[in-house]
Amino acid sequence: METWSYIPQLLISGITFGAIYALVGLGFVTIARASQIINFAQGDFVMLGGMMTFFLLKGAGLSYPLAGIFAVAIVILIGFLLHLLVIYPLRKASLPILLMATLGASLFLSSTSALLFGTLPKSLPPFLGRSSFEMGGVSISPQSLFVLGATFLVLLSLYFLSHRTFLGKAMEASSTDPLGADLSGISRNLMIFLAFGVSAGVGSIAGIFITPVFYVNYYSGTLIGLKGFIAAVLGGWGKHGGAILGGFVLGVVESLSVAFIPSGYKDGVAFVILLLILHFRPKGILGSPFIDSRRW
Amino acid sequence: MKKIVWAILLSFTIVTWIAPVQAARTPYKIGVNLELTGPWAEVTKTLKNALVMEVERINKTGGVNGRPLELVFEDNGFDVGRAAANMTKFTRDKEILLVLGPFEDNLQATTRAIAEREKITNIIICPSNPMVRDLKQKWAFNMAQSDIIVSQKLVDLSLARKYKKALVFPAAHPLALSLADYYKKFGEEKGMKVIISQETHKPTDIDMTPQLTKLKPIIEKEKVDVFYASTAGPPGPIVCKNLRALGIKIPILGTHAFGFGFIIALGGEAMEGVEFPAAKPVVFDQLDDNDPVKPINIDFDKRWKERYGTPSDQIAGYGYDTIGLISDALKRVKGKATRSGLRDELENTKGFKGTHGMYQFSPTEHDGLSKKDMVFVRIEGGKFIRIKFPGLE
Repeated sequence: METWSYIPQLLISGITFGAIYALVGLGFVTIARASQIINFAQGDFVMLGGMMTFFLLKGAGLSYPLAGIFAVAIVILIGFLLHLLVIYPLRKASLPILLMATLGASLFLSSTSALLFGTLPKSLPPFLGRSSFEMGGVSISPQSLFVLGATFLVLLSLYFLSHRTFLGKAMEASSTDPLGADLSGISRNLMIFLAFGVSAGVGSIAGIFITPVFYVNYYSGTLIGLKGFIAAVLGGWGKHGGAILGGFVLGVVESLSVAFIPSGYKDGVAFVILLLILHFRPKGILGSPFIDSRRW
Repeated sequence: MKKIVWAILLSFTIVTWIAPVQAARTPYKIGVNLELTGPWAEVTKTLKNALVMEVERINKTGGVNGRPLELVFEDNGFDVGRAAANMTKFTRDKEILLVLGPFEDNLQATTRAIAEREKITNIIICPSNPMVRDLKQKWAFNMAQSDIIVSQKLVDLSLARKYKKALVFPAAHPLALSLADYYKKFGEEKGMKVIISQETHKPTDIDMTPQLTKLKPIIEKEKVDVFYASTAGPPGPIVCKNLRALGIKIPILGTHAFGFGFIIALGGEAMEGVEFPAAKPVVFDQLDDNDPVKPINIDFDKRWKERYGTPSDQIAGYGYDTIGLISDALKRVKGKATRSGLRDELENTKGFKGTHGMYQFSPTEHDGLSKKDMVFVRIEGGKFIRIKFPGLE
């Protein structure tokens, strides 16, 4: 069968995409674990990460690592500002209102980026040479390995933060048991504030690693954000492992689907998977701490 | 209080007194309906700057027939609904003689239909596509090189390079698909074998690896000589990047939409060796010395650099050409300039020299440029280099 001959290559490409979705999904999960807020500006953190690095690298003439570090710092600052200016004033509002607020923030960030940085797409050079290498008839680009490595490192550090540090536990407590957190003297607003910073940092790292593979445009945050959100829901809303698993499942299924259906439907596959999951297993593959499993 | 009343009365008298004097120099009004915001904002800004620069130059030297030109800008935000609304607004303003824009292919069908109904000339920057061409609309004119001449030029290029078998990977929109179809039609007339891929891509796709993975066995099994990326915008460099990352080393052909600096910046090394038929402004400094459009381009580029500080490009060139075409037609209009009079004279344009080439319209041909107005270009060392073949331009 001819179809089977290109499955390995599609698998590799799917894994790369999976790592990207997972990275974006991790950002969603970080905020959700601290506050149950769904931050739809997450995709824009990714876009800003790529965009800032591009301008620090080409405009300010910084070296690649330095530009990357500064970009992450700036985006973390934007994440903090987003909390202070949008989320904090609305702290007494209900979740749907916060959701609308983050959507508005997303539009604001992408339009501002269009005004400041222009509307033409931008790309970063790869970290190492461009040439891809062949392994068993499958070509792999070094940048994909970097994306995989970044996903793994970010997962490790987030896992360490939430399971091994007091701060991470306090962040989680402020979401799962607000009253308990208040009684133990944890400032929930501070925890959400920090979560926004961490999630902006994760998003911008994703942006820096994936921009050399694709390109960044002022509106590219929207679709990648949606895919990351689907990944997080698919794997189990609110679990780091869930976002990673969901990301890889989504990336691989999407990529493999091209072998069997016309590629025009590729983006639709993600949403079909989301609908199926919401219908048959709303708590996701790994289960979600926020969704009461007894009801399902 | 009294003072204010007197001031108002006085200003009224002055205005009514001056108005008739100005009437003699009422401007020719041109509506401009462009995608000034949205994904093409930067490109349309270049066009806007070029239009403004040319209109100011003409007005400074006395205008056309002693009357100045005036541009009225409306932003359609890359939205069909707003493009239609702007067009309708312009048609209701009796002083607007003609409408320029839109810039993108997917908006032109709408504005053309309105132009036809309301009987106002609509000059469109992008090429026509077969769907709108078949309607044989009287009031619409296209500036850019049509899909037909680009495809003919590409077949010439393929034959000169002795490519026997080509694989086309089109984007899923009318213009790209018709470029693919015409390439197949003209190519097969000349004895080539052209395979149009069943896989397509969308203008918004950021990665074509899955589609190209599916095409890789076809390229190897059929021993395809050349890969033709029939697309525009960011997908062009993405296709080249993904192809090279998959280890496919066959030559790549592109469309005339590859002739932008940002395309090379996006694709980087993967763009090396890509060849395509391009508009003349892309490589204006490398044109033959006897090419009539060379001095126009050099002069335009000089003025552009003085004013905006960046090198000019093919989009800025369209700005020069449209204003030139309009003032050329206005000069030929006898008596009072009306919408229909201007349309008839625009259709009579014979060999207007612009930056892109010699524009020629006729009742049957509303695409101004011909095959002679394109050159072959190869990307080398991150630059557009003109290539020539004996017997072909």
